[in-house]
Amino acid sequence: MSVEILQAKAVTKRFGGLVAVDRVDFTLREHEVAGIIGSNGAGKTTFFNLLTGMFAPDEGAILHKGEDITQMTPQQRVARGVTRTFQLTSTFDNLTVTNNLVLAYFRAHHKSSMWNLLFTRVKRFHDEPKILGILETFDLLTVRERMVKNLSLGEKRRLEIAMAVLAEPEVLLLDEPLAGLAESEIKGVLDVLRGQIGKQTILIVEHKISHIKDFVERLMVMHEGRVIAEGGYEECLNHPEVRRSYWQIDTDETANA
Amino acid sequence: MKNAFKWWWGILLAFGLLAASRFFLPLPFVNEVVIFSIYTIGCSFLLGRVGFISFGQPAYLAFGAYGTAFYLFYFGTNPYIGILVGVCAGFIAACIVGPLFVRLRSDYFALVNLALAVIVFYMMQKVLAEYTKGDNGLWFLTNIASTPVLNIGRSSEFFIFAMLVAIGVWALYKYLDDTIFGACCLATKINEGKLQFLGYSNFKVRLLAFIVANTTTALAGALYAVYLGSVSPEITSPARSADPVVVTILGGVGTLFGPLVGTIAYTALRDVLSKFIGNWELFVGFILVFIMLAGEKGLWGSAAPWLQKLFFRGKAADDVAEARR
Ligand SMILES: Nc1ncnc2c1ncn2[C@@H]1O[C@H](COP(=O)(O)OP(=O)(O)OP(=O)(O)O)[C@@H](O)[C@H]1O
Ligand SMILES: [Mg+2]
Repeated sequence: MSVEILQAKAVTKRFGGLVAVDRVDFTLREHEVAGIIGSNGAGKTTFFNLLTGMFAPDEGAILHKGEDITQMTPQQRVARGVTRTFQLTSTFDNLTVTNNLVLAYFRAHHKSSMWNLLFTRVKRFHDEPKILGILETFDLLTVRERMVKNLSLGEKRRLEIAMAVLAEPEVLLLDEPLAGLAESEIKGVLDVLRGQIGKQTILIVEHKISHIKDFVERLMVMHEGRVIAEGGYEECLNHPEVRRSYWQIDTDETANA
Repeated sequence: MKNAFKWWWGILLAFGLLAASRFFLPLPFVNEVVIFSIYTIGCSFLLGRVGFISFGQPAYLAFGAYGTAFYLFYFGTNPYIGILVGVCAGFIAACIVGPLFVRLRSDYFALVNLALAVIVFYMMQKVLAEYTKGDNGLWFLTNIASTPVLNIGRSSEFFIFAMLVAIGVWALYKYLDDTIFGACCLATKINEGKLQFLGYSNFKVRLLAFIVANTTTALAGALYAVYLGSVSPEITSPARSADPVVVTILGGVGTLFGPLVGTIAYTALRDVLSKFIGNWELFVGFILVFIMLAGEKGLWGSAAPWLQKLFFRGKAADDVAEARR
C-alpha cells in the first residue's frame, strides 16, 4: 500500500555558518497529503529546494521511488513527476492567463520536442475542457484574456496553483500556496486541492496551521533547520518541544479555539 | 476565410504601402529598406521576445552574404541557388555557435556576439584574404545569370522578390507568436525558473530562437550579396555592429512592425539628414536617448495604439493588444 515516493535521508544544507536544513529525515508516501509547518526561517523553503533540485544538499540523499536523485537537475525531476510552486508567486506576467495555463497543460500531455513547440498553435488549447474547467474552479474565467501582470495578487496566486494542478505531476510540492489569499479564496483553493487527493501526492508548506489542519493527514514541524515533531495534528501540537519553541502556533490556535 | 484575412491584413497592408512607395521614392532606398528590415527582425525577436541583446548581428549577416558570394564568385551563376547557399551557411553557423552562446547570461551574450563579429571581420579581411580578396571584396555582378519569371539580377525585379521574401518572413514571425514556442520565448525571457519547473528546457527554447533569428539575419545577408553584386568585409565591420539594435529600439522592441518602421525611419534619417548634417549619427543618438527615456516604446510601439484608436475607435480591443506586440 504505502509506496515511498519521496525520501530525504539526513539531508543538510548550510549557507555559510548557518545550517538552514539540519539532518532532516522525511518520507512522503504515495497519495498522501502531508504538511510542513514552522516559523520564519525554519528552513521549509530550503528543504523544498533540496527536494526539487534547486540546489544539492551538503550531506544526505534524496530518493524518488527508491532511486537516488540527489544529483539530478530540477528538469530531470520534473520529468519524473516531481514539481512545485513557489513561495513568491511565480507566473509568466507577459502572457495571458489562458496562455500560462496552456504552457502547463501542453507539457503534461505532449513531448516538448522542438518540432512540437514550433508546430503547435497555442489557440488549439483555448477551448480545451480541462483548461476551461480549471479557469472555472479557480474563478479566473472573467480574466482569462488578461495579461497576468494586470492581475491582483490573489488572482496570480490562484493561477499559479491552477498551473501546478494542470501540469498533473505525481508529486505536488506547494510552498505557502495560501499566502496572500483572502479567507474566502482559501476555502476554494483547498477544495480544489482536496479534489486531487488520491490522484496526486501533495506536500504543502504552510505558516498558519489552522488553515490546513483539516486538510493534511500528517504534519512535520520544523524549527531552525531541524524536525522537532512529526505525526498527526494533535500529536504535533501537544509535543512539548513544539509547545516550547513554537509557542506562536499554540497561542494562535488557542485564540482560534 | 475571414479569419485568414484578419490574420494577414496587417502584413499585407504594411508591405502594400511599402510597395506603393516604390513609385515616388528612389528604388535603391526602398530596396535597402526591405533588406535592412529583414536584417533587423531577427535582432528584434531575440531582444524583444527572448530577452537576448546581440551586438554581433553583422557576423550572421556576413555568413549569409559570404555564403552567397562564394557560390556566385567561384561555383555557379544562379542567384536563387546563391541565396539558398547563403541561408544554409547562416543556419549551419547558428547551429554551431548557438549551443555555446545561449548558455550565457544576457549581458555576456551581447559581448560574445560582438567578439564573433570581430573575429569574422578579421577572418574575411586578413586570414581568408586569399579567398575573399581582402578589403577589395568579391565582385560577381556580371556572373549572375538572368533567371526566368523573376530576373533578380535587375534591381526592379529584385525589389518584387525581396518584398515577397519579406512578407514570408513577417508571416513566419507572426506565426511563431501564435505557437507554444512563441509563448515559451516570452516565458523564458521573464521567468526561466518557472518554465523549467513546468518541464520545458530553457536551453532548447533559446537555441531554437537563436537559430531562427540568425538564419533570418543570414537571409538578409544573402539578399544584400545578390542585390549589390559584391561583398566585402565592410559588411561585418564591428563599427556597424550596433545598427540592428539601434533600429530595433527606434522602431519599438518586441513589436511585429517595429523593425520595418524603425528601418524606414533610420534609412530616411541617414539618407536625408546626411545631406545637410555631417554627423547624422549624432542626431540618431539623441533620438535613441529620447525614446528610451520616454518609456522604451519606440516609434511603432507609440504609434500603434494611437492609430488603432483613430481607425477603430477602440472597438477591437484585442487588435489593439495585437498591434502593440
Ligand atoms: N539562498 C540562500 N542563501 C543564504 N541563506 C539562505 C538562502 N536561502 C535561505 N537562506 C537562509 O536559510 C534559512 C532558512 O530559510 P527558508 O527560506 O528555508 O525558511 P522558511 O522556513 O521557508 O521561512 P519562511 O516562512 O519565511 O518562508 C533562513 O535563515 C534564510 O535566511
Ligand atoms: Mg519559505
